[in-house]
Amino acid sequence: MKFGLFYELQLPKPYDADQWLPDQEHRIVKEALEQIELADKLGFDYIFIVEHHFLEEYSHSSAPEVFLAAASQRTKNMRLGHGIVLMPPPYNHPARVAERIAMLDLVSDGRVEFGTGESSSEMEMGGFGVRREEKKMMWEEATRECLRMMTEVPYPGYEGAYFAMPARNVIPKPLQKPHPPVWVAASRRETTMVAARLGIGSLGFGFETPEEARERVEEYYRLIREECFPIGKAINPALAVLSVLSCFDSDEEAIAKGLEGAQFFSYSLGYYYSPFTGGSHRPGQVNLYRQFKDTPPEQRWGGLAEWFRGFAGYRGGFGEEPKDEVGRALWRAAQRGGCIGTPEFVRETLLRYEEAHLDVMLFVAQCGARKHEDIMDSLYRFGTKVLPEFKERHEQHRRWRQEQLAPVDYPIVSSI
Amino acid sequence: MAGKVDRIQDPELRASLQAAQDSLRRGDYQDAVRRSAEAFLEMLRRRPELLQGQEGIRRIFMFPRLGVELVVTPGSPPALRYQRDRFSFSEAVTYLEFATEQLLREGM
Repeated sequence: MKFGLFYELQLPKPYDADQWLPDQEHRIVKEALEQIELADKLGFDYIFIVEHHFLEEYSHSSAPEVFLAAASQRTKNMRLGHGIVLMPPPYNHPARVAERIAMLDLVSDGRVEFGTGESSSEMEMGGFGVRREEKKMMWEEATRECLRMMTEVPYPGYEGAYFAMPARNVIPKPLQKPHPPVWVAASRRETTMVAARLGIGSLGFGFETPEEARERVEEYYRLIREECFPIGKAINPALAVLSVLSCFDSDEEAIAKGLEGAQFFSYSLGYYYSPFTGGSHRPGQVNLYRQFKDTPPEQRWGGLAEWFRGFAGYRGGFGEEPKDEVGRALWRAAQRGGCIGTPEFVRETLLRYEEAHLDVMLFVAQCGARKHEDIMDSLYRFGTKVLPEFKERHEQHRRWRQEQLAPVDYPIVSSI
Repeated sequence: MAGKVDRIQDPELRASLQAAQDSLRRGDYQDAVRRSAEAFLEMLRRRPELLQGQEGIRRIFMFPRLGVELVVTPGSPPALRYQRDRFSFSEAVTYLEFATEQLLREGM
């Protein structure tokens, strides 16, 4: 199993102010780059960073290609992942995506992971004029054509449902041939199975348990073998899941320094993705962190909780894990989870994912109001006390994977 | 190796989703979407209690909103409203996987 960091660039407002301090955005970006540099030296395999727009406090990463270009010059080995590029053409023209991915691949000596996705928050879709019921079709069309642009000389042109362009040679071409490994954001199980059938990696954002990961791994690799119709010129069989990391010498310290950040991650995610609170957000006028701090701790797992509470007269409690995937992901993100604890505790959790044959574990380390020094400390402890033994065993996983993929005839481009 | 669709116990619903799978393989995504969404609807018609309470609300909320709308009106049976007649491969897979997972979860 490999390991990576996952960044939203979260930036809560100060509790007692209506806006951020003048240097806060600058500081959070510089700190994140320092964290990534350390992670590279410690042997982390990936960094993935989101593209989000207008989601104040939740994510200040709207130009990940610029951030990754900076990271490429401060790291040597780490793979540089878009987690993800918003592919509907109103966000990014497919030709511009192809050009940017290729240039990043060139400046990073072939270290790009091309994560793709479609977005689902009303703030973003409304801001760019993307209709919810069309976004998946837009994603598929744009991703397929973008991969053709990276590989065909010249690109013959296209007249599609959501964009059109005449024949052009889209340059530069990526260093990795035929193109970098492709992924898709999968917050729902169905999308993981879309990924398998299109021959691309699944970036699972649902905080899946080891048992769920095992079931998905089995079904995903079966579909890759039996039902795959590749969207690109090479397939990237790979499954990643997300967990929140806070690794310290005692459980108490890990919780004290890490749990509130996890809860803010969940709370702000739920706020923007709720069909009510997310769509009615007042730009520039909300202090989400203050709202979060003023919420009782047991309700801090997401704005959706408030929605369900008021909906259809429902008055139940939220002590138990919800059954639907969206609510469950928010609930899990706000709990202590399996990776907030001592190195021994975290190791025990990760062994279960390793046994499930998971390919990549991605950690949310920078979240909420966590301090930079604590994030660095936690990364260092994980990187020196937990990571090495998993790296030593990765060859076993690679052999298992080769067996799974033995019947597959398609070319494979993958960093697993 | 048998896929998840083959584990559905109800012969009629299993046949619907097997047909959806066949449509997907031959590139008829519209038919795959229609058969998958209707298999899910048929489950709701047979088991109206699945639309009750908190879990019912969540079940409605989680139905993929990718060109097919699940219409639930008090006093009327649930229905489907098609917002368009053209679907992509990934949309068809989404409806097929959603229906399969929901039917299996309810032991159908």
